[in-house]
Amino acid sequence: MPESLELAAFAVDEALAAGASQAEATCTIAERFSAEARGPRIEKLEQSTGRALSLRVFIGGAKASLGTSDLTREGLRAFIRQAVDAARFVGADPHAGLPEGAEPAAADDLGIYADDVARRAAEDKLEDALRLEALVRDYDPRIVNTSGAHVGDTRARIALVNSNGFRGSYAASSVQRSVAPIAQDGANKRVAGYGSAARGYAALESTERVASNAAARAVGLCGARKPATMRCPVIFERDVAAQVLGDVFGALNAANVAAGNSFFAGKLGEVVGSPLATLVDDGRLRGGLGTSPFDAEGVPTRRTVVLEGGRLRTFLYDTYNGRRLGAASTGNASGGGIGPNNFYLEPGPDSLEELIAATGRGVLIMDTIGFSTESVTGTYSRGARGYAIENGERAYPIDEFTIAGNLLEMLAGIDAVANDLTFDSTIVSPSFRVAEMTVSGT
Amino acid sequence: MHLDAAAFSQILTRALGAGEYADAFYERRVARTFRLQDGKIHEAGLSLVCGVGIRTISGERAGYAYTDDLSLETLLSTARVSALIARDGSARVDAVELPREPREAPPMYASPEVELPGSATYVDLLARADVAARAHDPRVRTVNAFVSDEVQEVIVATSDGLFVRDRRPLVALGVQCVAQGNVRGNGFAGDGGRTSIDYFVGRTPEEIARESARIAGVNCEAREAPAGEFEVVVGAGSGGVLLHEAVGHGLEGDFNRQGTSLYSGRVGERVASELVSIYDDGNLPGERGSLSIDDEGTPGQHKVLVENGVLRGYMQDRLNARLMGVASTGSGRRQSFRVLPQPRMCNTYMPPGESTYDEIVGSVKKGIFAASFAGGQVEISKGDFVFMLAEGYLIEDGKLTAPIRGASLTGNGPEIMNRVTMVGNDSRLAGRYYTCGKGGQYVPVGVGMPTVKLSRVTVGGSAVA
Repeated sequence: MPESLELAAFAVDEALAAGASQAEATCTIAERFSAEARGPRIEKLEQSTGRALSLRVFIGGAKASLGTSDLTREGLRAFIRQAVDAARFVGADPHAGLPEGAEPAAADDLGIYADDVARRAAEDKLEDALRLEALVRDYDPRIVNTSGAHVGDTRARIALVNSNGFRGSYAASSVQRSVAPIAQDGANKRVAGYGSAARGYAALESTERVASNAAARAVGLCGARKPATMRCPVIFERDVAAQVLGDVFGALNAANVAAGNSFFAGKLGEVVGSPLATLVDDGRLRGGLGTSPFDAEGVPTRRTVVLEGGRLRTFLYDTYNGRRLGAASTGNASGGGIGPNNFYLEPGPDSLEELIAATGRGVLIMDTIGFSTESVTGTYSRGARGYAIENGERAYPIDEFTIAGNLLEMLAGIDAVANDLTFDSTIVSPSFRVAEMTVSGT
Repeated sequence: MHLDAAAFSQILTRALGAGEYADAFYERRVARTFRLQDGKIHEAGLSLVCGVGIRTISGERAGYAYTDDLSLETLLSTARVSALIARDGSARVDAVELPREPREAPPMYASPEVELPGSATYVDLLARADVAARAHDPRVRTVNAFVSDEVQEVIVATSDGLFVRDRRPLVALGVQCVAQGNVRGNGFAGDGGRTSIDYFVGRTPEEIARESARIAGVNCEAREAPAGEFEVVVGAGSGGVLLHEAVGHGLEGDFNRQGTSLYSGRVGERVASELVSIYDDGNLPGERGSLSIDDEGTPGQHKVLVENGVLRGYMQDRLNARLMGVASTGSGRRQSFRVLPQPRMCNTYMPPGESTYDEIVGSVKKGIFAASFAGGQVEISKGDFVFMLAEGYLIEDGKLTAPIRGASLTGNGPEIMNRVTMVGNDSRLAGRYYTCGKGGQYVPVGVGMPTVKLSRVTVGGSAVA
C-alpha cells in the first residue's frame, strides 16, 4: 500500500475515534524539480519532496477542515482532535457531508502520468533551460534581457480515503517550460512571456517554439501606443480568451450560484450565449492537465456539456452545492470548493489569421492585467495590450488601454471562434471574437 | 522535534559546501479560520505549515530544497541537494558556528501569544458582524464573513553565524455584503494586523460590517463608469494600492539587479512629481506588513524609496543586496518554507502633503473620485498598471455626485507619478487586509496614502461619452 494511502486511512480512523460522524482525507506526496536560467548560467535550482494531508470532518451537518504538513502519527492525532473540537462550533447544515456510497472510479488509462518525467536527467533539464534562454536572446537584437527561462516538473501520488468506504489513489505528473524575454524599445522595456505545459516532456512544445513565440511577442510590442476610445470588435488571443473563460467559470461554479454571487443564477435552460458558445468540462480527457480518475471528494470525473450552442445546460457542482440546488455532483470538487477539470470552449473552423482578416477594424488582445471584481453583475474591465486591426491586418501594437463590457454580453457577442485550442492548462480556449466592446484609450 | 544549534550547524555546514553562503529557515505556522454564510458558521478551518527550507548561494546562483520531515537524516540530505548548485568548487571543511540559543527578535507585535483562543471567540465575532451588516441596510441580501488568526514561529540560521527567532501573530476579519438596488452591489471591508484577536474588542466587527454594508448600498445604485481620460482624485487610505503597484514593485531589488525594471540604474534621478514621497516601513507596530526581522533574519526598516520626486533606493533581500554591493533593507520575505525569499514590500505609503480634501475635490470640474480600490496589478518592465475600483463617484463642479461601478484605472506608473498635482494632508494607512502576490507567493502587506489628485488617467468604464 503506498504511504499516502496508509496515511489517509490513518487520518480517517483517528477522526472517527475523536468523535466525527464522517471523515475524508487526502494525502499528497509530490517531488518537485525547478530550474531557472538567466544569461549563461543556472540561477536557481530547486528540488524537494513535499507531503501534505488535508482532512474534512463532519459531526452530523457541521464541518471542519484541516491541512497539515506534519505527518507524524502523534502530530496528526493531536491536530485531528482540534479539528473535531472546532466542528462543534459550526452550524448544522443539512446538505453537508460526504458523497453517498463510494462509486469506484473506472480504471481506464487517462494518460496523466508520463514516464519520461522521472527518466529525464537533471543535467538535461538544466541544458534545456540554458538553451531556451540562449535561443530567446539570439532571436532579435532588441531582446536585451530576460526575466529568466524556466523548466520544471512535478511527480505526485494522490490518495483519498473516506469513511463511506472510498479508497483510491493515482499518480500524476506535469512539466512546464517557459521564458519571459524583455525587448528594449527606445526608453521603454517590453516584457512578454510564453510557456508550454503538459503531463510529460514528450507532449511539451519544443524549446525552439517556446523561445520564438515568446521573443516574437516581446518584439511585436515595440512601438506600441495608446488607441483611441471607441466601440469595436475585440479578438481575444487564446491565452487571454482562457482568462475570460476563467471568469465565466466563476459564475458557473454552483457555490457562487447558490450564494447569489453569479450572473447565471436563475438562467438554467435559457440561451445565454451566442450559437458559437459551447462550453465543456471534461475530467477524462486523455493527458489533460485537469484530468483525474476522481475528484477531490472521490466522485468519478466525467464529461459535462455546460453551454450547448449558447444554451445553459447545467452548473458545475460538488456534492454539497449539488444538494443545495437539487442536482448531482458533476465531479468538480477541488481543494475544498469547486474547480475546473479541463474546461474549454469548442473550437471553430478558422485560424486566428483568418479571424483577423475577417475583421475590418478592431483590436486583438494578447495580454490583460487586472482581475474581475464583479462576479455578481458580470461587469468586465481590464488593462490590455495587443494590436490594432485595420483592413483585416495587424496594423500596429497598442497598450495602456482598457477593454470593458459585461461577461454575459460578451458570451452573447461571440461571433467567430478560431481552431487554435491547445490543452496546456485546466481552463483553455481557442481565440475568439466578440462583436463589440468598449476600448478606452485616449 | 527540537532543532537546536548543533543541528542547524550541521545542516548549514553541509549546505554551504563550496558555496559562499547558506541559510536555513524553520517555520511553524498554526492558523485558524472561521467562515460565516447565510447567518450561521459555515466552516471551521485549521492549518499547520511546518518545515525547513535550505538555501545555498554561489555568486548569482541559488540552490534550494525543503523538507517537512524534520529528522536530522532527512535535513542533511536536503542540505546536500541545496549545495548541488555550487558543485564547481571545493567544499570547505570548517564547521559553521552558531550561538547556543537563537536570539529573540526585538518586540514589535501587539501581542506575541503562542496559544490561540477557543473557537467561541471567533464564532461570536462573526455573528455580531452578520447582525450589524443586515441591520445597517435592509437592501443587504447576502453577508459572508470570515475571521482568521495565526501565529508563525520562524528560526533563521545562516552560515555567517546569525541565529534568530521571531514569533509573528496575524489576525484578519473581513465582511462581504451584496445589496439589491437598481443593480446588485458588492461591498467589502476588513481589518486586523499583527496582533491578537483581542484587537476586535476596540475595533469592533460591527464597525467593519457597517462599512461593508455601506459600500454595497452605494454600489447597488451605481451607474456604469464612463470611458476615457479624466482628472482623478484618489481617496486617502486604500489609494496606497496605487503606490504599491505603480511604483513599489518596480523598486524591488531583484528586478533592479537583473535590469528588468524601468527604475533600474536610476537612483538619484527624478522619477515623480516633486510632491511625491514614498516610504516603505517594516517597523510600524501592529500593521499587517510589519516584521521585526524579515525571513532572512534582517531587522525591519524604514526605507525612503522616493523623496520629493527623486528615487532614493530599492528594497533588498540578501541575495540581491550582495550582488548590487549594498545592504539588505530587511525586505527578504517568503510565503512559506517551501519557496525562496524575494525582495518584497512591507507597509508602503506616501506621507502627507499640504492640501485639504475639500481643496482637492473642489478643484475638479469633471472627473472621478476613486474612494477605494479592490486591488491592482502592474507589469514592472514598462510600468503599466491597472486598478479596480471598489467604490467610486463622479466629480461634477467640485462635488461628488453619482456613484459609479465597474471602473478600472489604467496607465503607466512613472507617467502617473508625474501627474500628481495635489497631495492631501490626510495620509493614513488602509484597512489591514491587503495581500500581495509576486511570482506565486502571497504575503500580507500594508498600503497607505493621503488624498491625491492626478491630472489625467484613463478610466476603463463601458459608457462612451
